[in-house]
Amino acid sequence: MLVLSRKINESIIIQNDIEIVILDIQGDQVKVGLKAPKNIKIYRKEIYDAIQQENIRASQSKLPKDLKGLIEK
Amino acid sequence: MKKILTKPFGEIEVDESQMIIFPDGLFGFENYKNYFLLENPDSPFLWLQSADEPTLAFILIDPYLFKKDYELKISDEEFYAIQIEDKEKELLHFVIVTVPPDHPEKMTANLQGPIIININKKLGKQAISLRDDYTVRCSILDELEKSSKIEQNSNKKVEAK
Repeated sequence: MLVLSRKINESIIIQNDIEIVILDIQGDQVKVGLKAPKNIKIYRKEIYDAIQQENIRASQSKLPKDLKGLIEK
Repeated sequence: MKKILTKPFGEIEVDESQMIIFPDGLFGFENYKNYFLLENPDSPFLWLQSADEPTLAFILIDPYLFKKDYELKISDEEFYAIQIEDKEKELLHFVIVTVPPDHPEKMTANLQGPIIININKKLGKQAISLRDDYTVRCSILDELEKSSKIEQNSNKKVEAK
């Protein structure tokens, strides 16, 4: 992994059109600004991971034969 | 019409013109882009069945059926991605249901990653909810209970008047 040190308001450019700016640092929290073309997808990793894991669980689900009383249409 | 193998119903006939393309796939299933929406008879559930992999299918439900105060809060880019121009006429949205084996009463819905579909252009996407309080495992039966309590309370208010 490439490791770079940055100060507040300094940034990193990736592939000419993706810019990551360090906006603020407070204790153990870093505020990061991201500028990127619309087709670049940006997610918080823990949310991305959670949805991915849940999709895998969901794909193994089966509906019970008797749905009566469980949930009405 | 075309015959395909499906996870819930085995071999069935589908109308190919109804196939929905998910250009990005679903999270964790990026390589599967073609799906059919199948109704599950006598139930509020639907199946999002992969057109290419018979064993891959997801159970979907309309979130308003169990959560009256549900809100689809996602960024506008997500609507652009499936070319939505008129939400009223084109947009369908669902949440994916997980049913734990042997414990159907513990079924949960993924409110954090809703499925949005442009029904006219046959384009779909798994979006990411911008609501911090929505999780990937929301208990469907707990929400149903809450919704029915809210309904009962509002009925009481009407009676009191």
